[in-house]
Formats: sequence, structure tokens, C-alpha cells
Amino acid sequence: MTDPLSLAPILSPDDRPTPLFADPDLTHEQRYDAFVEHVHGGQKVEARDWMPDEYRTSVLRFVEMHANSELMGVLPEREWIMRAPTLKRKLALTAKVQDECGHAQLLYRVAEDLGKTREQMYQDLLDGKTKFHNVFHYPTKSWGDVGIIAWLVDAAAIVAQQALRDSSYGPYARTMKKICWEESVHIMHGRDVVVTMMNGSQAQRDMAQEALDRWWGPLMQMHGPRTDPAKDRDLFWRIKEKTGEQLRQEFLSTYVPRLWEVGLYPPDKELKLDEASGEWRYTEPDWQELRTVVTGHGPKSQERLDFRRLHHDQTAWVRQTILATPAPA
Amino acid sequence: MTTDKTPSEGHVDDAGRLGAGADPDVWEVFRQEKDGEPMRHAGNVRAPDRELATHYAREFYSRRNESVRLWVVPRTEISDLADPDLLQPPLDRSFKRPGGYVMRDKLDAAKKRAAESAE
Amino acid sequence: MTTETRRPTRQLIQPDLPEFDSSGLDPQLRAAIADLLLTMADDEFVIGFRDSEWTGIAPMLEEDVAFSSLAQDEIGHARLLYELRAALTGEDPDRLAFHRQPNEYRHARLLDQPRQSWGFTITRRWLYDTADSVRLAGLARSSFAPLADVVGKIRREERYHLMHLDAWLERLGTHHGKPRGKLLSALKQLSPVATSVFAPLPGEEMLVAAGVLSAPMADLAARWRSEANARLCALNLRPIADGVPAADGRDHATPHESFVWLWNEFTSVAQLEEGVEW
Repeated sequence: MTDPLSLAPILSPDDRPTPLFADPDLTHEQRYDAFVEHVHGGQKVEARDWMPDEYRTSVLRFVEMHANSELMGVLPEREWIMRAPTLKRKLALTAKVQDECGHAQLLYRVAEDLGKTREQMYQDLLDGKTKFHNVFHYPTKSWGDVGIIAWLVDAAAIVAQQALRDSSYGPYARTMKKICWEESVHIMHGRDVVVTMMNGSQAQRDMAQEALDRWWGPLMQMHGPRTDPAKDRDLFWRIKEKTGEQLRQEFLSTYVPRLWEVGLYPPDKELKLDEASGEWRYTEPDWQELRTVVTGHGPKSQERLDFRRLHHDQTAWVRQTILATPAPA
Repeated sequence: MTTDKTPSEGHVDDAGRLGAGADPDVWEVFRQEKDGEPMRHAGNVRAPDRELATHYAREFYSRRNESVRLWVVPRTEISDLADPDLLQPPLDRSFKRPGGYVMRDKLDAAKKRAAESAE
Repeated sequence: MTTETRRPTRQLIQPDLPEFDSSGLDPQLRAAIADLLLTMADDEFVIGFRDSEWTGIAPMLEEDVAFSSLAQDEIGHARLLYELRAALTGEDPDRLAFHRQPNEYRHARLLDQPRQSWGFTITRRWLYDTADSVRLAGLARSSFAPLADVVGKIRREERYHLMHLDAWLERLGTHHGKPRGKLLSALKQLSPVATSVFAPLPGEEMLVAAGVLSAPMADLAARWRSEANARLCALNLRPIADGVPAADGRDHATPHESFVWLWNEFTSVAQLEEGVEW
């Protein structure tokens, strides 16, 4: 029995002893090996730790693309903030898009602490040097899109984000915990929008199905083609924990039954659960479309970047004003 | 920062540094979830001055009513101490911990002796 | 998985509107209160829409989030005020918000123009927030208890709006060159319509006599002008000109083209099909 007055739990050795790779007296190879062992042992890396260049570059690229996606993901839904049809929807949609802005800020903060300025990240995004997720390169056409995006695009994203709570990069993992906590409500909002439409008129049901038809392709492409896990450096560094195919399967397992139960049908005749393997079968997504879209040639890629550039330029004077204010003593 | 330094070296740079030399626009935020709970580190915000830093701390760490109190501290004002020689010195400190006193066998022996001598 | 019986669903949404019995209210006074509530609700509704447009395109991500909070607060206040009116008139809050013609809205003309630049937005919001704050103070001890209750809650949220807008007014106003220039030109442009928040109401005399409203709108306008001008002068900015609030400050017989654009946006889904839920 533990002595109730024992302070042992408090005084037990810190769960993060000084990592071996921090020792500057080791050779580079020894530090590198110790670092690999550290992350493979499920341990975290912090912003100021020594880290191999490849790790730093990989984390930065990964987090920066995630931040870019949150930032650009604001735009398709933002168009509907002014068109929300009830007071409650107006509040929910404004709050959801606000969260995307907030998440972009949280993620850019993580990236900034890796040494790249926010302005530089904006410039690289606007210049097409860095990417953002495929789903944010497409137009939104109806209120049905608002529901489908908030429900399914966010669901597909949250499946990936939940796995990132275990990322080896500590600041990213902690940020993902906060983001996942905040995002869970988006899915509720989206599903509520869609289910309300499915309980409404035929025109509303058609609108929801039509939106699903358009979004299904991009949704299936979202987690990327099957890859060889052995060659995936982000997996090697434990920046992420799951392959694209694992995430897609998780997404399908949870959400296809929920679509079917309300009378919505993804436009894929091959889509079914293979009982024997427990895996979902589906028509091979159009990977050429994915490559075309994420390299900036999607239906709305340039228009969205132009829009972002326009507003960034128009408000530059505000940033100059506020950042020129001397910091208080 | 770019990564054109010698890739074979790896490096510790100023990223995320605390204390003097840290980014002056970064403010660390601590939050209290309920009255009586400890203040816990929540994250950080970027702001040009103290007033806006408190506004942004509110936005990022309590816009869902998840805090009852926030502390907002310039990152430059934090003294960071993580030196293992000071915090985790290597020599035995077990005498400072309850677990450092294993009395079971000795206690048993003492009890036994006391019982025998009372007979 | 456990198979225990389901617990009753927790009450997640606390009603913001107090329960009350208005059956004893004089019909004319009831109509005057309903009219006052509509003007306040429409103000919050319109400025909430204007502010929400910044979500995603503000100068800094931090302000995207901050301005979006302001927008949500205002829409929340509009909802509460429409609900309070609806409790008096039997109307539906969403129909009030989304199913009137543009000329039937009662918002102050100060809110008619589009959001324009950050400088214009800050100026207008500051003018509106300071005016709204004086109006709310005039209702804080209202003899109509449900209104006093609702206003008490709204004022607690408006405190942050004032703090945040004043922080921006100071930062732009004390920065010579473009930032100050933007504020000065916005003040010049908005000065003639700024007092429209205090446009006289048809039932105003009755509201004051019954203690629903503490003073006539013209008195509240004078109080606001002296408070606002003290701050503007301290920042060496152009003060608001003297004058009684114009009678047509909430008249939209010929709606402003920017409001018509806004109306077309916010009704575009709501009016797609009659009688359906969204």
C-alpha cells in the first residue's frame, strides 16, 4: 500500500530526463542516433532542443502546410458567413470560421518558434512556394456545401489531427490537443446543418446530395495515395503516426454509415465494406487531379491566393503601424 | 532561418528561446480553469504590446469560457532553468524521499525482539 | 460498452431570456417597448454582419479572431433582443431578422455603409460602441424588468468591445501619417450620421414617463457627445459636431445601396424556399 502522505509521485524522476542527444560532447553520429532512438521511444522533442536538420526541416514543412491549410480553409466557408439563414447558424458558422483563423495562428506560432517568420510564410504561400490542402482549392456553391464541409471535410481532417496529438514534436502535439478539442464542435454543427436539410423539402435533400457528389472526390483524395510506410520520412520521425490509407479507412468506417443512415449516398458504386478484411473498398481516387490541384492549378487556387494577397496588401499599413509601436518598458 | 547550414551538424538555434534575446512580441499565457486550481501554461500569443497581449490571450485561451484567470508574461521576462547539474544532480538524494527508508525488515526484527523480550 | 440506462440529457443551453408575464402591460407602452427593442436589435444585427465580414481577412490573424468575437457578441445580443421583442409581440425571432423588406429595418444610418478600410471600421465601431454604451446605461435600471435584466448581461460583454476599440483608436490616432489620416477622414465622413443611434423614437415620451428609458434620446445623445469628444480631443482627433439627432436617423424608405447588398446576402439562403427549416 502506498503511504497516503508519501510525496513519491511528486518527487519521482522527471518523466523527461535530459535526453542523451543533448550532450554536446558526443559526435554528430552519436547524437543523431540518440535522437532517432529518442523519437522512436515515443519521447518528445522541444523547440530549443538540438535536432537534426532533416527533422527541423520536416517539422517546419509539415506544420507550415497545416497552418497554410487552416488559413486558406477560411476562404471557402467565409463566403457563407454573410448568407447564413438563421441567427443560430450565423453564430455557429462565424464561430467555426473564427476557429480556423485561430488554428492558423496557433500553428503559425509553432512554426515561428522553429525559426521562420510569419511574413515569410505568407509570402511563400502567396508565391506558390508552399502548399495547402486540396479541399480548399474548390468552389462552394450552395448552403449544402457549408454542411458537407463542416461535417465531412472537418471529420476527415480531425481523423488526421487526432493522430497528430502523438506527434514527436512536443509543441505541435500540444497544439493539436487544443485544436482537436475545439474542432469537435464543428462536426456537430455540420452534421446538424445536413440532417436538418435531410428532414426538410426535396429541394433541400437534393441540395445536400449534390454537395456531397461534388465533395466526395476531393474528400477521397485528401489523405493522399497509398505510400510505402518504410519510405515515409514523416512517419520515420514520428511527426505523424498514421499513413494516408489508415486515415482514409478510419474516415470511411465512421462516416459512410452515418451518411447512409440519413439517406445520403457517396457517388461511388464500388464503395462497400469488405467484411472479410474489415477494409473499405472504393474506386481509385483521381490522383492526377490531386497533384494538379495542390500545385496551384485547382478550380479556385489562383483566385483564392489573389484574394488573400489583395487583403494582405490592403492591410499592410495596419501591421506596419501596430508593429512599429515601441514595446512597453 | 533557412536550413542551408551544414546539414551534417544539426543545430540549436534561438528558436523558441526564453529569457533575454527571445522574440519580444511573444507572450506566454497561463490559465486557471477553475477557482482554486493551479495556473497552468496554456500556450502563447504574438502581440505588439501588453494591452493587446491580454486581449489576444482572452481570444485564444478563453473564448469558449474555458478559463477564470489568465496570466500574460513576456517571454523575454522568463528565466529558464533546465540545467541538469542544478536540477537533477547525480548523487544519491534518497534520504530526502520517503522511498529512501526501507524499514520493513528492520521493523519486523524489532517487533520480533520486543515480543520475545516481553515473554 | 456499458448498458446502463441513459441519463437524462443535460440542459446544455441556459436560456438568456428571463421568464416574465407581460399581460398587464399597457398596449401602447408594449408597442413602444417593442419598437425600442427592434431598433436596438437591428443595430446589433447589422453591425454584427459588418464585423463578421472581417473574419478571415483582418490585418492580423489575432484580429480575425478578436473581430469575429465582437461580431458573434453582437449577433448574440441581436438574438436576445429579437427574442425579447418576440415575447411581447408573438413574432418569430428568425423571421424578424431574415424575412423583412429592406425598408422595414430600423438600424441607425451610421451602420449603413460597408466596412471599408480597417481605419473606417475602427472609427465606426468606436462611435457605435460608445453610443451604444450610453444607450445601455439609460436602460440599465429600466422599469421593464426583463429589459433591465437583458441589458445587464449585454453591458458585461460590451465592456471588452470598448476596451478593444479604444486600444485601436489610440494606436491609429497617435500614429501620424496614414493611420491618423484614415481616422480623421472616417470621422469627417461619419460625423453627420453618428448621432443616428439616438434618433427619436415614436413612443419615446411614453417610455421615459414609464421609466423604461431613463431620459429622452436627445439627452442621451448630448451625454454621449460630451464623453466621446473628451476622448477624441485627448487624442487630438476631430470632435463630433453639436446638433440634435435627426428625426430620420433610422428611416430607410429608400434603403442605402450597401444595406441592400447586405440584405441580398443574408436573405439569399433564408428566402430560398418558404416555410422550411435550415
